[in-house]
Amino acid sequence: MATDDRIDVLVIGAGASGAAVAWRLAGAGIGVMCLEQGDWVAARSYPHWQADWELHRHTDWSAEPNVRRLPQDYPVNDQASPISPLMYNAVGGSTIHWSAHFPRFRPSDFRVKSLDGVADDWPIDYATLEPYFDLNDRMVGVAGLTGDPGYPPKSPRQTPPIPLDTLGATIAGGFERLGWHWWPSDSAILTRDYDGRRACVNCGPCDLGCPIGAKASTDITYWPKALAAGARLVTRARVREITLGPDGLADGVIYYDGDGRERRQKARAVVLAANGIGTPRLLLNSRSRDFPDGLANRSGLVGRNLMFHPYAMARGIFDRPLGGHRGPIGCSIISQEFYETDLARGFVRGYSFQVARGLSPIASANGGSIGDRVPWGRGHRRAYDDRFDRTITVAVIGEDLPEADNRVDLDPALTDESGIPAPRVTYRLSDNSRRMLDHGIARAREVLHGAGAHSVAFNPLLRAGGWHLMGTARMGRDPATSVVDAEGRCHDVANLYIVDGSVMVTCAGVNPTSTIQAVALHVADGMIRRRA
Amino acid sequence: MTGEGLAAKRDLLIAVLDTLVPAAAGFPESGALALDHVLAIAGASQDAGLLLTQALHAIETASRGAEAGGFAELDANRREDLLRAVERSHPEAFDALVQHTYDGFYSHPATIARLGLEPGPVQPRGHRIEPASLPDLARVAARGPIFRRA
Repeated sequence: MATDDRIDVLVIGAGASGAAVAWRLAGAGIGVMCLEQGDWVAARSYPHWQADWELHRHTDWSAEPNVRRLPQDYPVNDQASPISPLMYNAVGGSTIHWSAHFPRFRPSDFRVKSLDGVADDWPIDYATLEPYFDLNDRMVGVAGLTGDPGYPPKSPRQTPPIPLDTLGATIAGGFERLGWHWWPSDSAILTRDYDGRRACVNCGPCDLGCPIGAKASTDITYWPKALAAGARLVTRARVREITLGPDGLADGVIYYDGDGRERRQKARAVVLAANGIGTPRLLLNSRSRDFPDGLANRSGLVGRNLMFHPYAMARGIFDRPLGGHRGPIGCSIISQEFYETDLARGFVRGYSFQVARGLSPIASANGGSIGDRVPWGRGHRRAYDDRFDRTITVAVIGEDLPEADNRVDLDPALTDESGIPAPRVTYRLSDNSRRMLDHGIARAREVLHGAGAHSVAFNPLLRAGGWHLMGTARMGRDPATSVVDAEGRCHDVANLYIVDGSVMVTCAGVNPTSTIQAVALHVADGMIRRRA
Repeated sequence: MTGEGLAAKRDLLIAVLDTLVPAAAGFPESGALALDHVLAIAGASQDAGLLLTQALHAIETASRGAEAGGFAELDANRREDLLRAVERSHPEAFDALVQHTYDGFYSHPATIARLGLEPGPVQPRGHRIEPASLPDLARVAARGPIFRRA
């Protein structure tokens, strides 16, 4: 086993949070190395440059590792979950695939116990994270519009909002008729050149990556700056376990390099940034005499309280072209009309509406997120033409509450190519979440009809919707009820940090990446302060 | 039967694809446009190849005795009836057949052009989006904060 020299901080995972923490630490003069099991994605390798680009969505560019099955992926046993986890393994992580819808958590999201009597409060609040939201926005480059009454005032957005086109104007009209909140989405996609990066050309399939760097995947935002500041990034490095020294502190990792050779990397501190499934997997696979149930797991909570954002989808069909196949696929309008708790609705907490763009040709035929394939046979042509470029999809993004039985553990048989146990996901949609999504579907139906849709169909729970992986190493003040403290430091191992979605105490009703990155920057500053 | 096996049933496969997406409204039938993709996916993916083979075998079996000459000789009504029977008896395999047919048909440049789009890669050209008139956001903003301070 080769052993490399000890470095200051070893970061595991080069995605949304790992890139942010590496940049911040390197900028403070701290020696940083990051191990990433994927590789750089070359701009020319994206499918957008090929005529058959859309075919890749269900093969090698699928967001599902179990479909994609690339050498750098690990399998996930999701047979006991109605939602499939999605992720990507590369420099940039899942920000390669994300749609870059970029809302922040709201102030109440950090105080759900105090305000609504459920789950737990975070040990940090919106005010603590606000400067990091702003810093992260500057690094990312956010398209948006200030003044949204859904949030405390924000700093100016870096570029104007994503163009809404006919589709956006149509659905906005539906919200207006009902008198409901709506606002152009904050999107991590440039609409003007910014910070050396190009503006979006509205090609459409952001979910297959962005070959021109308009979308803020961390391989083109944080990483170039982190590397310039001195961080080292080792790709095709598959970490097996975190090791402990005789003092009970983390002293490094064992990993397999790109040639499959087992290596050891020593470090003074370790930061886990491997997502809400990969991080508990690594902790649970790092067993020792002191931690027989997994590293930093004296609370027994590592892997528990898994939260997705359960998605329900509603799709309206209109009688005119909407131009929806153009423009960033996931970004148009957000509505938070039903975000805060109103118990008269029959559930606690709430949800957002995310209005996406329309569907591309193949997705239109196969029913998109609704899954109602256009009928085959002699009625096909008319049925297809009635749909293509005439649909608007409204996603209902519900706040999932933490439940201990929703969890990640290690599969007893399934492994990756290196023999490392694969994660196994067990998840049940709660009754509260079900009622929330049903409420959202009914309201989405209203807004789509209000916008002029002549028919509306829905999917009550999107299976391929596990974009957001959260809660499996939760943050808190009490070591008995949490895994990390308010600065991301494991209660049980003082030099082991977690910065990805695992630390989220609750998951809010919006996409989490903005908040994950703000938390990562907050944790990094705590590390810098302690070092000083 | 693999992708090669399917290729040996080329005439039957074309007739099936033509029935799934017939020519209409200026669009050609899918046998001409989707065949290459269906054969390619059957050769590239063992799972897909198996399902497609099952579907075609079930269609072939159901066609025997229906009429001399088999499936290709049936009129449009009887072709559809037969395929609906196979769809009921072999739902997973038939679903794969329809999906890959649609994938092939709706990724073909001729189809893309007929839809009014520009065939070919979406980069570097992208799309031009014309500004649209939006409802006034003043009403939304005038409501004041809708978040809870915490």
